[in-house]
Amino acid sequence: MATVKVSEAEKVYILHGIRDDLRVDGRSCEDYRHMEVETDVVSNTDGSARVSLGHTAVLVGIKAEIGKPRPLVPDEGYLEFFVDCSANATPEFEGRGGEELGIELSNTLYRVFNNKNSIDLKGLCISAGEHCWVLYVDVLLLQCDGNLYDAISVAIKAALFNTKIPRVHMSSDDEGGKEVELSDDPFDCVRLSVENVPCIVTLCKVGHRHVVDATLQEKACSVASLIIAVTHRGTVTCVKKVGGGSLDPESIFEMTEAGKRVGKALHAPLMKLLQQEESLGKKREKVGFLG
Amino acid sequence: MAGLELLSDQGYRLDGRKATELRKVQARMGVFAQADGSAYLEQGNTKALAVVYGPHEIRGARSRALHDRAIINCQYSMATFSTAERKRRPHGDRKSTEMSLHLKQTFEAAVLTQLYPRSQIDIYVKILQSDGGNYSVCVNAATLAVIDAGIPMRDYVCACTVGFVDETSLADLCYAEESGGVSSLALALLPRGGQIALVQMDARLHQDHLDTLIEAAMTACKGVSKVLDQVVRQHLQEGSTLRE
Amino acid sequence: MPTDTKRVRGPEVSQSPSLFDCRPSVVPPSHGARADGRQRDQVDVRPVFVRCGLVSQAKGSAYIEAGDTKLLCSVYGPRETERKDETDMKCGRLTTDMRFAPFSCPERGSWIQGSQDKNFSLMLQESLQPALCLHKYPRSQIEVNVMVLENSGSVQAHAITCASLALADAGIEMYDLVLGCSIRQDGSSYVVDPTYSEESNWSSSEHQGGLTVAFLPSLNQVSGLQSDGEMAEETLTAGIRTCIEGCYKLYPVIQQALVKAVRRAQPPPPES
Repeated sequence: MATVKVSEAEKVYILHGIRDDLRVDGRSCEDYRHMEVETDVVSNTDGSARVSLGHTAVLVGIKAEIGKPRPLVPDEGYLEFFVDCSANATPEFEGRGGEELGIELSNTLYRVFNNKNSIDLKGLCISAGEHCWVLYVDVLLLQCDGNLYDAISVAIKAALFNTKIPRVHMSSDDEGGKEVELSDDPFDCVRLSVENVPCIVTLCKVGHRHVVDATLQEKACSVASLIIAVTHRGTVTCVKKVGGGSLDPESIFEMTEAGKRVGKALHAPLMKLLQQEESLGKKREKVGFLG
Repeated sequence: MAGLELLSDQGYRLDGRKATELRKVQARMGVFAQADGSAYLEQGNTKALAVVYGPHEIRGARSRALHDRAIINCQYSMATFSTAERKRRPHGDRKSTEMSLHLKQTFEAAVLTQLYPRSQIDIYVKILQSDGGNYSVCVNAATLAVIDAGIPMRDYVCACTVGFVDETSLADLCYAEESGGVSSLALALLPRGGQIALVQMDARLHQDHLDTLIEAAMTACKGVSKVLDQVVRQHLQEGSTLRE
Repeated sequence: MPTDTKRVRGPEVSQSPSLFDCRPSVVPPSHGARADGRQRDQVDVRPVFVRCGLVSQAKGSAYIEAGDTKLLCSVYGPRETERKDETDMKCGRLTTDMRFAPFSCPERGSWIQGSQDKNFSLMLQESLQPALCLHKYPRSQIEVNVMVLENSGSVQAHAITCASLALADAGIEMYDLVLGCSIRQDGSSYVVDPTYSEESNWSSSEHQGGLTVAFLPSLNQVSGLQSDGEMAEETLTAGIRTCIEGCYKLYPVIQQALVKAVRRAQPPPPES
């Protein structure tokens, strides 16, 4: 469900718990819930990943297509984000109900990736001004239980890591016309460097403290949250306040610092896990949704 | 015909199956905790996720409520990355709307709606990966989800897509066969009573062959029902051992 | 794709001639004075002109001009809410709509609201909402419409200021005014209240980004915060502080405009 109803007594219980650094599910304020990451789950895509975080479940599929570079940057490819809030997650999203949230999420993703270092866009260019790779990053929300941003960003990073772009080269025929030629070997692929891809950390201000990875109940107790996209080096690529409330400057500074610390710590185990999964190759037992 | 030999002289199909052979069906019930019922089903390379909410009060316009039975609300959608070529919209196009309607009709025939007057049952199906037979995979997944939600049905609804080529009927078509110019027929069956919940064909076929084709579809559906039954039994067993 | 059938549209594939400009684009210098003579690394905002009550049909309106950035905002309501199925009827609802006139940017835009505009609208709504006493307006909605007439940078920040002024002009009860300020970080130096060319022409150095802050000055609360690009955490915090300082600079100007508007609406009784 996208929203839950929390009674006043429950709110007090959650607030007091957080004040004492003990949350309803036993975590402390900067702990994540159990997270599962699996890559290569949809074979129709060039890269895909499934992430579940508590009850939140997202599936990201990446498709690489050949398109025309944007006129302003002729020597770069680009990324397109689309977030599909499917009715599977909650009946409220039926029909066009999920569109608003989908646009909000995808706009934030555009912002997070709006810098030169996250993804090597120049590497996505095939021939300047004519052809480039367009990476369609499609996010599918399967279940919402709070903290969508973090789950989505981890899933995107994993899916980008998994992405295999076929190798192409330009060949010119006798009349000087250029043609894109696909490599004959289907395993001849280019991989993306995801080292600098940021992860998003959402900090929810509850009472006088902030918590990481808030559940829907905790989110209902908070007035505003701050999302911070952090790379493994600790560079911030996006901050955004979400929610209807306001925050005082001092707590924002505290939250950015905590976000940077938590975000930096998130990258290493994720990369280790992805590399481990990659090294297993074909031997890996695919779990998917059957597990 | 698109140059592809759909059935070899030895009687094997493109993916090496025999004419009446089904693809491997794997399923799991209770994938998600928040929904009232959910199921994931793989049939070969086609993967679908079904979620059921309800029965609950009617959402939106109260006037839609039926005084003697529940209304069934279906939405079929496809993940944008599910097909070989990227889809621009997950749902809302004509094809998905039609598919939603077909699902609704199928489940109205199967669910005991009269037990829940003035209420609504939501069935949402998402295709994660599409490789032919989308309708039948959706029906099979949704059946499991409805059972997981504990909503009484007359029987399992099992669906299968069959095709007719070279005087032979092929069971459970894959995408290459579906697009290869086979006259295909989708059929949803309540296997125990042998009642047909939905049958749809929009291709040319000689009248004389129709009976054989339907017969083949019904056999295939019965095959699917056995697998589904097994999944349900296993799921219940797991649930009961956990509780002990 | 939604298509606009009401107006004659330009050809589908046309490009602005500026793209074919062979001259190397003028990269603004990353040191020294700025193109418009303002100082770098200082809270040097553009002088603003603000005026309330330009749109006579609206309940309240405001116009703001900062350098070449020109915005018009009108507020309608409180009126009965359109969405009756909303569960939360105890509070009023704030709806925002921010649009760019097609001629507002160097490149012609479309009349249809794109997803970027929705992003602007959303931030506007989230920044204004904490300042409004919405519980005083149950079952009703307040509409804020912002039209960008000319985009010369820092549109989001000025839209927030302009909208809060229009809300005050409409007599909507508020806790505080909301002021917006943005900066552009470029390497180690920064520019406050950047112009369009400063926003879009990035020099190649690393660590640059934009930051917009919405601030409630008398409550000392940040109601909106959005950044992109790359910044170290320390620069980010410094940037937020700079923006807040910028907001304080703007505060007296906005207050004055508001006082002027109130005086005009209710002239002091003639001395007898």
